Amino acid sequence: MLVSWKYRPRNTLIQRLDPRARLIFMLAALVSLLFFWDLRYELFFFVLALGQYTLARLSFRDTRRAWLLMGPLIVILTILTFLTGRFHEGVYTEEHVLGQLVLFSRLTIVFSAEKIAFAIAQLLRVTSITLLAVVIPYTIDPSLYGVTFRGLGLPDKFAYAMDLAFRLVPTLGRDFSITYDAQRARGYELEKLKGGIVAQIRRVAPLLVPVVIQAIVGGEEVIDSMDLRAFGVGPRTWLPQLKYSRADRLLLAFSVLLVTGGTALMVMGYGGFWVPEFLLRMAQP
Amino acid sequence: MKSKIWTWLIVLVVLAALMWVASALTGPEGTKLQGLTWLLWVVIAGVVIYILYFATSQSEAWAVGTRQVVYMAIGAALYGIFSWLFNGTVFVVPSVSLVSIRPAIALPIFFGYAFGPVVGFFTGAVGNILGDFITGWGVYPVWDIGNGLIGLVAGLVMLFPDRRKSLSTLTWLVGVLVLAAIGIIVLGPVVMHPWTGEEIPRMPWVWVVVIGGVLALAARFLMKPLGEDTAAINLWGALGIIIGIGFAAFADIWVNGYTFFVAMVGEFIPAAGPNIINAAILAPILLAAYKAVQARTGR
Repeated sequence: MLVSWKYRPRNTLIQRLDPRARLIFMLAALVSLLFFWDLRYELFFFVLALGQYTLARLSFRDTRRAWLLMGPLIVILTILTFLTGRFHEGVYTEEHVLGQLVLFSRLTIVFSAEKIAFAIAQLLRVTSITLLAVVIPYTIDPSLYGVTFRGLGLPDKFAYAMDLAFRLVPTLGRDFSITYDAQRARGYELEKLKGGIVAQIRRVAPLLVPVVIQAIVGGEEVIDSMDLRAFGVGPRTWLPQLKYSRADRLLLAFSVLLVTGGTALMVMGYGGFWVPEFLLRMAQP
Repeated sequence: MKSKIWTWLIVLVVLAALMWVASALTGPEGTKLQGLTWLLWVVIAGVVIYILYFATSQSEAWAVGTRQVVYMAIGAALYGIFSWLFNGTVFVVPSVSLVSIRPAIALPIFFGYAFGPVVGFFTGAVGNILGDFITGWGVYPVWDIGNGLIGLVAGLVMLFPDRRKSLSTLTWLVGVLVLAAIGIIVLGPVVMHPWTGEEIPRMPWVWVVVIGGVLALAARFLMKPLGEDTAAINLWGALGIIIGIGFAAFADIWVNGYTFFVAMVGEFIPAAGPNIINAAILAPILLAAYKAVQARTGR
């Protein structure tokens, strides 16, 4: 099997932006989003995240796997929180009851306006986080991660380690394929593990151990090559050069505004939990 | 010497400031600042790691040379690939009693144990990023840090002159954590059951903590015949998984708005439980294979 990156070059505004600016924007949007529980504020961030996703021109086919996993997870955990009640003390102190369900004469599930509003806010929140996060691997060139993190202040050694890690993925993936085929030729079948849980896990070892040890042994040659080229002796230069354009500076300014504006609104008491009026009117007297 | 004293003073001031912010968050005005709680959680974790590093900075465990850089890259790439392979995208392996096979978790533990806490943290954090990238899931910083902590904690064994001393320290640490947990349960606020509205009794949880602590301590002595390395990698690995997954699941309470119950039952237990089993079986096998190669090559 081939291990390949999800990134494809697309001539879009999102891909033309500097990856450093994009990562800073993603973190700023994430931090600001988590300040609020008001539906209306959550909706703003949802629209922002959806806008980025749309501008990236990613099709559902491209990101299908991410949504097939995250979609049910988001829904299930939202329902679970809805059924188990308050997220923590102080978010809301009274409930406007819309109805009750008694199970097994002992468990009482109360449906309230607050729970519905909270569930919707949580759904918007988690979906926005997913939308912000899922765009990154599809729209940033893997060969730029090292220089990107160096540009964000990571020391040379760590930035280079990140660059090397990205470059090693296809190589080690190919080694895995070779090892797996070799083991299969000897009668090893991963899909048909038998026995208890311990036996099944142990049966993964013939696949895991050779690949890891081979990678470590091969790593010794890389270490020698790097030492012979005086790695780490002085500051490192990078082949790709990143430069901020006007659009990148605007994005950075917007990111700063998001965080500072969000912090100011939060401190002034805005953006707290809010229940729509029509839900409150539906509550039982 | 002077600069070290100044650094300690600054670190203590920062920690005090964080504690003040934390107490503000729990006060009457705290509800306004709830959005900062998860960030505070991340910053406190960072400060604790920095204190740990600063207190032991003389140790070679923290050295980052060419060897560590290459092993960081190899560990992260392998963790990313194996995470992708075993998350159902390539192999759908049979599961037993809701336990899924996730062998990749042995990698940050092995790399941390064999090459140090820095290599372990990088393997876990960047490897998790790579695995999510290859699968196309995106970036989730809290879980990346959580996976990094697994490898970092496993690598802390290198701070000790020998494995026996590390196991003794771990034994004391488990004892202290058990007593602290009992104290928190007994003296902490009353927790109401979300469905019955009744107060959740505390004593069963005290017994759970006591039994867990006794099992952990028993494991330390029961694994001794298997060798100190096997006992050490299993116990440090288990501690790393509990701290790393616990950190991420706990932070998700504020990130995703989960209840404590959902975070523990929906995330922590399903992740930590199977991971501890996976690591307990595969990490010692990896370590034994590595030691055999080391003996043969002399490096």
